[in-house]
Amino acid sequence: MADVSLKHIYKVYPNGTKAVNDFNMQIEDQEFIVFVGPSGCGKSTTLRMIAGLEDISAGELKIGENIVNDMEPKDRDIAMVFQNYALYPHMTVYENIAFGLRLRKLPKDEIHKRVVEAANILGITEYLNKKPKEMSGGQRQRVALGRAIVREPKVMLLDEPLSNLDAKLRTQMRAEISKLHSKLKTTFIYVTHDQVEAMTMGTRIVVMKDGFVQQIDTPKNLYNYPANKFVAGFIGTPQMNFFEATLNKEGENVIIKFEYSDAQITVPYSMLYKAKPAYLDGKTKVYMGLRAEDISLLPEDIKNSKAVVKVKVSHKEELGSETLVYGDINMGGDGYVESSTRVIIKDNSGRDLKAGDIVDVAWNIEKIHLFDYENEQCVLPRIPEYNYLDCEIKNGKLCFAGCEIDLPEAVKCNDLKGDLLLPTDALTLNGNLKAEVVSHESINGINLSALNMNGHRFYAVNLQYSEAGKTLNSPINIGIDFKKITVISDGKTVIAPLSELNKLNCKFVKRKEYEEVNVNGKIKRKKAIRFGFDVAGKFFEASEDMSQKIFAALGIKKAFTTPLNLECGIYDLAISESGIPAKIEGYLDYGSEKFVKCSVGGSEVYVNTDGEISGEIYLQPNFEKVGIVEIEREIKII
Amino acid sequence: MAKKFKSKKGAERVSLIVAYTVLIIICLIWLIPFLMLIILSFRGEQAGISADYLFPKQWSFNNYIKLFTETKFLTWYGNTLLVSVVVTVFQTIIVLMTSYALSRLRFKLRKPLMNLMLILGMFPGFLSMTAVYFVLKEINLTQNIVGLILVYSASSAMQYYICKGFFDTIPKSLDEAARIDGASRHTVFLKIILPLAKPIIIYTVLIAFIAPWGEFMFSSFMMKGDPDKFTVAVGMKSWLDNSTLMAEGYFTVFCAAAVVVSIPITALFIWLQRYYVEGVTGGSVKG
Repeated sequence: MADVSLKHIYKVYPNGTKAVNDFNMQIEDQEFIVFVGPSGCGKSTTLRMIAGLEDISAGELKIGENIVNDMEPKDRDIAMVFQNYALYPHMTVYENIAFGLRLRKLPKDEIHKRVVEAANILGITEYLNKKPKEMSGGQRQRVALGRAIVREPKVMLLDEPLSNLDAKLRTQMRAEISKLHSKLKTTFIYVTHDQVEAMTMGTRIVVMKDGFVQQIDTPKNLYNYPANKFVAGFIGTPQMNFFEATLNKEGENVIIKFEYSDAQITVPYSMLYKAKPAYLDGKTKVYMGLRAEDISLLPEDIKNSKAVVKVKVSHKEELGSETLVYGDINMGGDGYVESSTRVIIKDNSGRDLKAGDIVDVAWNIEKIHLFDYENEQCVLPRIPEYNYLDCEIKNGKLCFAGCEIDLPEAVKCNDLKGDLLLPTDALTLNGNLKAEVVSHESINGINLSALNMNGHRFYAVNLQYSEAGKTLNSPINIGIDFKKITVISDGKTVIAPLSELNKLNCKFVKRKEYEEVNVNGKIKRKKAIRFGFDVAGKFFEASEDMSQKIFAALGIKKAFTTPLNLECGIYDLAISESGIPAKIEGYLDYGSEKFVKCSVGGSEVYVNTDGEISGEIYLQPNFEKVGIVEIEREIKII
Repeated sequence: MAKKFKSKKGAERVSLIVAYTVLIIICLIWLIPFLMLIILSFRGEQAGISADYLFPKQWSFNNYIKLFTETKFLTWYGNTLLVSVVVTVFQTIIVLMTSYALSRLRFKLRKPLMNLMLILGMFPGFLSMTAVYFVLKEINLTQNIVGLILVYSASSAMQYYICKGFFDTIPKSLDEAARIDGASRHTVFLKIILPLAKPIIIYTVLIAFIAPWGEFMFSSFMMKGDPDKFTVAVGMKSWLDNSTLMAEGYFTVFCAAAVVVSIPITALFIWLQRYYVEGVTGGSVKG
């Protein structure tokens, strides 16, 4: 019973292959987490790292309060169930279950009590004296589960436990594992390649691909709000239909026009508020996704729908309760191979369709998913990153969305017309722009407010308007954090956001020092070795914890030769009497905040400051908050 | 036209008859020397190396009585048994541990080490005999049972290959499950791997026992000149080399000795062979 925290976890093999990349997750106590993805995506590797069967190349793994990176599996207080059961063949079922308890030297009657209890839960009491080979696959997996639960571990790890069972048994065991979870109230981490298992069992699902986490969310959210095309296609059967399309904004409507087909549908612009305007130019290609159940063949749906498309039926798959109708929106397409015009329809209408029939189908436009053609990311993110606006800079004032605001000294520039990228987290409550909050939603703990300013739609995250005593649809005052905005004119970035992270080249070094120690009245010189970071010639001693992480990630030899980056936030670098020598290059005045731009070695850094300073300055990083990154492999070590 | 079908059963029978005939002939060729040895050992009358008839005119146990009362055979037998048993214990332990390490642990130079051991094993052991002899002489271990045990056990680890192959077939997930259950590496080895490795332990024991039991070259070199330290192979060869003994009819005694020598190995094999057949890994994982 514990939470598990994974911070910047990497698995890099000696030949350089990265099996797991920057895995970050906070698993709460009693959660049922499922890692899902195609084979080779790193899900099992991650699980094995949690179990301690695989070394962690970099990052921090915590189970409960303890950092367990270098802890033996047996000391982590976890239990694991393997795909191939891994029962000890020479022991009876009883001995198999009792093995872990015996090794922990529990009293005999306690062992007996626990084994019998576990056997009761799993219904294997009558097999206790049998050997594993006398049992069927399902029974063996129960024994394996019994062996895991009898130890009452903090975390249960299950590595594809049902993959070796037949379909019927799998469904049954699936339910039993879910029941076990609710009964034991332990954290479960479950690995599977089967999305049905993932959807039915997990409280949260981690979708992985090629060593990268694609999305972490609840089954429902994964299904309704996939973050990219991969997740959209992976979750749900039959697979989501994908079409190549262009979006063209015409007034308050957007026309979705499909490639390789004459079909097009019209949707209201309000659905696409969160999309980047560049997608709506009628030329940029996107993927449009629509699930099979969101396409209807029911006559009344077709009558009421505004988005009707002609489909040429190619064949059907009868599933009993429903029929999968395969077709093509391209009248020349064949509907058998997966293409960007093939469409699969889950049909409950019972209509008798034959191959070659051309029918009207109604598309549920509420359920449309759009993905970028290049990077396949969702075009309609639940939490948009930026508000995209046209803007004009005139006489030192920024004009956008029908309002004007003075530009601070730091970002002053000549008059121009361009695009403004206003991050959703750059809107604050201290300003004098008039707006009103029109809607509000909470997404995974992040508050997203939609604002209306002179008829323009804005999104802002974590705008604490209700705490400021405001309610929905009442006017509020909005300000802008100019550090974060970007203005692009003629393809050139005129105003760039202030980098929130300073990067400094550094090296991990060893220093021999002699300290004078008083031994029995005599002063002796004693050699002491200290580890630390060399940043532009200045030595900063590293804590024990940091040194260990560096050694663990790079190895003892390479630790001292690998070029590293010291990353520290602009607020975590302070001006002090001693430290890294820096030269002042200039000042940035953002009105409420001032920053000084200095150069250290070859790199530029920004430091928050109160007043003007001049001459040589020294910088002191806050080592409690810095990050260390290996430059070559891009691994965040600390 | 009716097509004539050849009976499948008939064809099978013919091929079986051919196969068994060949096997029986090979078997006889193999067994005849042993039968001769056993029959000669019960011969009452004298015989030289070239006995002119096989079945004795008079059956008797005299050769055996003579063997245990008049010769040093019992001492030699004791020597050999001591050496073989101790070497068997050492070699089995070393081979099992080496194989487990090479099968389960991943360390630098693991592959080169395995290859090196394989290549070294290809050179006949007697190449280094002279050198080893002088080294042992320096530390006063020639004409000494301990020296012989040392020499026989020294290169045991090189026999890892078959055993490692067997360990490789035991699923790694068993080790991992045990480690998660709370076992350390050697608990895994002792409580999980060894009980599963019975067939290969038996094999290793047999091989380890047979080699020193019949070894002649090194022991003859080591024990030269001290008949009290002879092993059976060296001792019996010394009879064959001694023409006066042979003339006195020691050949039948030699045969009796050969029979006695073969007893432990036969017994060991009969006792242990049932473990060979038993498949012990059944049921551990899917299958």
